Amino acid sequence: MNAVEAHGLTKKYKTKIAVDGIDLEVKEGELFALLGVNGAGKTTAVRMLTCLSKPTSGECFVCENNCVSRQSEVKKLIGISPQDTAVAENLTVTENLKLICGIYGYSKAVTTEKISEMTRLFRMGEVKNSRAKTLSGGWKRKLSIAMALISEPKVLFLDEPTLGLDVLARRELWSVVEQLKGRITIILTTHYMEEAERLADRIAIMFSGKIAVQGTLSEIERLSGKTGLEESFVEFAEKYGKERI
Amino acid sequence: MNKILSFSKRNFLEMIRDPLSYLFCLGFPLVMLVVMTLVNDTIPEETGMTIFRIDSLSGGIAVFGMAFLMLFVCLTSAKDRAGAFLTRLYATPMKSGDFILGYTIPTFILAILQILITFSASFIISKTAGVEINVFGMFLACLALLPSAVMFISLGLLFGTLFSEKSAPGLCSVIISLGSFLGGIWFDVEKTGGILEIICNALPFYHSVNAARTAMKFSNECFEHLAITVCYALVVSIISVIVFKNKMKADISD
Repeated sequence: MNAVEAHGLTKKYKTKIAVDGIDLEVKEGELFALLGVNGAGKTTAVRMLTCLSKPTSGECFVCENNCVSRQSEVKKLIGISPQDTAVAENLTVTENLKLICGIYGYSKAVTTEKISEMTRLFRMGEVKNSRAKTLSGGWKRKLSIAMALISEPKVLFLDEPTLGLDVLARRELWSVVEQLKGRITIILTTHYMEEAERLADRIAIMFSGKIAVQGTLSEIERLSGKTGLEESFVEFAEKYGKERI
Repeated sequence: MNKILSFSKRNFLEMIRDPLSYLFCLGFPLVMLVVMTLVNDTIPEETGMTIFRIDSLSGGIAVFGMAFLMLFVCLTSAKDRAGAFLTRLYATPMKSGDFILGYTIPTFILAILQILITFSASFIISKTAGVEINVFGMFLACLALLPSAVMFISLGLLFGTLFSEKSAPGLCSVIISLGSFLGGIWFDVEKTGGILEIICNALPFYHSVNAARTAMKFSNECFEHLAITVCYALVVSIISVIVFKNKMKADISD
């Protein structure tokens, strides 16, 4: 079964087409990266897949549930870590996690168990009683992902998870994402080639709202005739992009 | 219910962990209570001016304090919208009603605490100032202030939904200033008369203050003021619910 599907997914604003008829099929347990420069339409595509924006045309599905007509079901199946760090600043790490458990209706015992699990997975023991506003960017991103993951989603959406992080924080976050690989389906948006290359099973490269190419790294290299994701990306950018890289 | 409780708890903690909330919601009204009692001591009895006497003042100060709660619920909701926090929650099974109650319930609890603290301080001041205050009257005044609490919270939610975190506080400050002035906290509206009295009577603030003042004196006038306050609270609540729901719908269809 495909965890995520999109058919002709389009989002038009008054003067701009943000996403232009994209087709996607993401298999269960796969880590799928949407790669593109700023403004390529990655976040808009994720917003439609997470019921945060209605498509102008086309359809999208999460675990066979239509993202428009079966929103309630879709929302139970997904977790999202938005581009901006979406945490309650005056709450501690534990309280933030508890908030999400409460929203999903978990019992006290399950909540305690899940918080311990997330604290262990993200190695947040030393900051669990710190208020979110006092955390560094790296810790906040980890917390944000933990909050998305604590409800045990079938599909996890990570929108530019390492944006603005220093190299060490970025690598630490990558190792966390690697631990999740295969356990759940992950849709990752990024404009870092290295990130997509290291983490993704399959990659879709977006330009001006369209998917220029999608496949495994070796498939993309073969289609571009270049070696490495960055070289392939530049090749497709020259072919498709009127955009500046 | 779990969703509402969890979100309410988060909002309660967000508000009580902001040091400014203590300063504005408790400190400022309590200071005004003490300062105006001292001012009252300097007013000669023959003037017949009782507006700053503690039995008159406490209801007005309680309304003044609640107006600051409007500012805090407004700030909390506007900040949530400005950041990605609401985006995250919009992608959870939470519905618009869960959000509205999640903002309203903790602020309502804070309003009750604020009213109780204001009247407790008033009771202590009345003892030191030698003014007789009926405790049951105070209790009735506290109850008479509850519709006003709903009205201020709904106003805060409305402004927080419609305006940005930068413009919303400015608008709240205007309402706080207007509310305290036109509510007749600092002057006797009846003695002023004219257009000012007409404006004061047309707006809810004067009735909020007088619902508490007259309840404290066991006056039947209380019911008229209370009825007007309840009507305003209902209208503002309905408008804020409609606006919040529409805004949320617009946010997730854009």
